[in-house]
Amino acid sequence: MFVAIEDVSFSYPNTQAPALDRFTLDIKKGEVISILGRSGSGKSTILRLLAGLERPKNGRLVIQDETLFDDKTFLQPEKRGIGMVFQDYALFPHMTVGANIMFGLSDMKKADKKKRMREMLELVELEEYEKRYPHQLSGGQQQRVAIARAIAPNPHLILLDEPFSNLDAELQGKIRKDLREILKKANITSIFVTHDEKDAHILADRIVKLKDGKMDFVGRPCDMLDTFRQEAIAESEEVLKSKPVVHV
Amino acid sequence: MQRRLANFNIWTVGAVLIILMLFLPNLTIVTGFFTPSNDNWEHMKEFVLRQFVINSLILTLATAFFTILIGLSLAWLVAQYDFPFRRFLKWALILPLSIPPFIGAYTYHGILNFTGAIQTVLREGFGMELDPAYFDIMNLPGAIFIYTMFLYPYVYTITQVYLSEQSASLIESTRLLGKGPWRTFFQVVLPISRISIIAGASLVVLEVLNDYGVVKYYGIQTFTTAIFQSWFGLGDLDTSIKLAASLMGFVIVILLIEKLLRGRRQYSYFSTKVRPLQLIPLSGWKGFAAAGYGMLILSLGFFIPVIQLVDWTILTFGTIPMEEFMRYVQNSVFVAGLSAILIVAFALIVGNFARMVQGKYTKLLPKLTVLGYSIPGAVIAVAVVTAFVALDGYLAPLYLAIGLETTLVLSVSIVLLLAAYIIRFFAIGYNSIETGYDKIGTNFRDASRLLGAGPTKTFFKVDVPMMKGAIISGFILVFIDVLKEIPLTLILRPFNFDTLSTKAFQYASDEKIMEASQASLLIVGISALAIVIFYKILEKEMD
Ligand SMILES: Nc1ncnc2c1ncn2[C@@H]1O[C@H](COP(=O)(O)OP(=O)(O)OP(=O)(O)O)[C@@H](O)[C@H]1O
Ligand SMILES: [Mg+2]
Repeated sequence: MFVAIEDVSFSYPNTQAPALDRFTLDIKKGEVISILGRSGSGKSTILRLLAGLERPKNGRLVIQDETLFDDKTFLQPEKRGIGMVFQDYALFPHMTVGANIMFGLSDMKKADKKKRMREMLELVELEEYEKRYPHQLSGGQQQRVAIARAIAPNPHLILLDEPFSNLDAELQGKIRKDLREILKKANITSIFVTHDEKDAHILADRIVKLKDGKMDFVGRPCDMLDTFRQEAIAESEEVLKSKPVVHV
Repeated sequence: MQRRLANFNIWTVGAVLIILMLFLPNLTIVTGFFTPSNDNWEHMKEFVLRQFVINSLILTLATAFFTILIGLSLAWLVAQYDFPFRRFLKWALILPLSIPPFIGAYTYHGILNFTGAIQTVLREGFGMELDPAYFDIMNLPGAIFIYTMFLYPYVYTITQVYLSEQSASLIESTRLLGKGPWRTFFQVVLPISRISIIAGASLVVLEVLNDYGVVKYYGIQTFTTAIFQSWFGLGDLDTSIKLAASLMGFVIVILLIEKLLRGRRQYSYFSTKVRPLQLIPLSGWKGFAAAGYGMLILSLGFFIPVIQLVDWTILTFGTIPMEEFMRYVQNSVFVAGLSAILIVAFALIVGNFARMVQGKYTKLLPKLTVLGYSIPGAVIAVAVVTAFVALDGYLAPLYLAIGLETTLVLSVSIVLLLAAYIIRFFAIGYNSIETGYDKIGTNFRDASRLLGAGPTKTFFKVDVPMMKGAIISGFILVFIDVLKEIPLTLILRPFNFDTLSTKAFQYASDEKIMEASQASLLIVGISALAIVIFYKILEKEMD
């Protein structure tokens, strides 16, 4: 398995309920995973645990035979080789688009860094924007820069937290297609969080559904449609049953 | 704590060391209080301690009352009404803060004494020979007047910002309910601005307890003067420590009262956005009365003393050799600049620690560092000297080993003074830096870590550049506070080391008021400029 998440639990300090409860998932190389779930179900928490921004209570995290976390190890985020696209992009406002993308390319020669940065800009179709600052870009452009920045250091795994939430509907459609193309072109394993089913169906190879910090469903998008239909039918039947019939 | 153990690194170690360095010296005061007492202390306790307590109480209570009266009324006028010169007064009313109270004290004495401007005009212009006692300002009421005129901006700024935002709709709706301005003031404005008034007034009270210059010059006995007297007059550091501990007890009581009055709500000043508010125009005599009132306070707190200082500076220009004067300027800029840089650097490290740690108790650690600002300078001086003498004691073998003649090295060096400044003014810089960290949040930091940058690279490449505004304002605020500082500098400076403020104070104490004006004017000028720059930065950041 390329990425292995084994039995990981976590709760935030000073809270009772676990934000993530005995979560297990294996991911193949190049696979695109989508995490779906209600607000507060623990989606962002999974990403933060993988990235090393939070420390699990127990369990094990492995990427490509390297242990990121277990009883004895905790690899710092900068050593994990994981890229992340934040919900608000977190582009450094004091750096140009070019400098943002080159930030993660530390042990390279200057010329190589430039070259890689240009490749990335080409990939996200923003060649002319190298010298701009983040605040001079539209929301969609910022997002593409954030993706380019995360991909540039060639991470094993890329995490995207609600990548479409700040975009208008039209842009969402376009970016969704772009993103799938970019990810597949670069053959990067990725996990993205969303609360929009449509995103998940179009983009993902597999979907994980979370409920209150627990795994609720995992499978291919088409499998999910079935369970969904069943759920919906069950729900509507219940509604029908409980609804008092009103006679006029 | 546990979760973040992995982040245990050089930055954490640094932060904890800084916190201990800032906090530990103050413990020497507490332990010193419980050592056996000597005759001086017994004598003081029996005969004079009561008088110190009474004087300090009168000074703090009366000053608190008058600064609230003036600060709140001005804040209310500026926040609610439109009248001539309002825009100018809005920021200019902060300017009295640029005049250290001791400079104001001797300047007013100079204006009012027998050869001063007022009596001279009355005598020579109108042939009036009045009882000089009418013009005597060197007493308790005089000191209260001085403190009020130069400290009211603390209440004014905090309350003004507060009244201009949160409460706007509340006040407007009260007005719509048909209450007049006076009832609005007493039934709504006063109660809702309670927290900001308390925040401002407690700063005023702490400043009054810290003050040495005014009471010394006016010959009023307080805790601070007694600490000096027993230390340097009687050479009795033990008694100073006991006095310092009593004063600290006094301060702790005040802080507790503040906490109690304030309730559970925290009030942070200089932090929120200002939203424009519908001002009520004051027309005719009302407008002029409001403008006149503001101008009167501004004149008493700023223009009159500054004009007098300029006048004296012109009269005495050249009497102090330029070279000598420049040395004071250099010394002042050196100590103020260096301590401001160190404080900002330390504040960045501790602030970074504060936002990364998660444990309930570890979160409290950084809070310890801001205590220093509530501790009067004279107390800190006693604490720092005690701590450094002890430190030199530990290091004595080392000194002898490297061939030094003396074992008092650190405790007679400039390090002592810098350490004291850092303890006293750390909170000022920290406030600003903490706000900066709050504003940028942790996402940029996380992003940087995930792009492979370690904590150190992240700090220098991401955090610091993004906090330029907070860093500059922290630096400016500390710089002017050190520039104006008196008791610490007087006690702890190395032999023959003079700054603008010690020189101004010494000239004034020797009744060379006019000579004192040059150094004073420079202090006031730099501080006023810094205040203006600070508010410009702040305004820009708010947009
Ligand atoms: N810093 C924190 N401290 C305490 N509790 C937190 C913290 N962050 C999240 N939580 C809690 O952990 C749970 C999971 O949060 P998480 O952010 O993973 O949800 P999410 O699925 O990403 O939700 P959303 O769709 O709203 O982003 C929630 O109950 C939340 O309240
Ligand atoms: Mg989330």
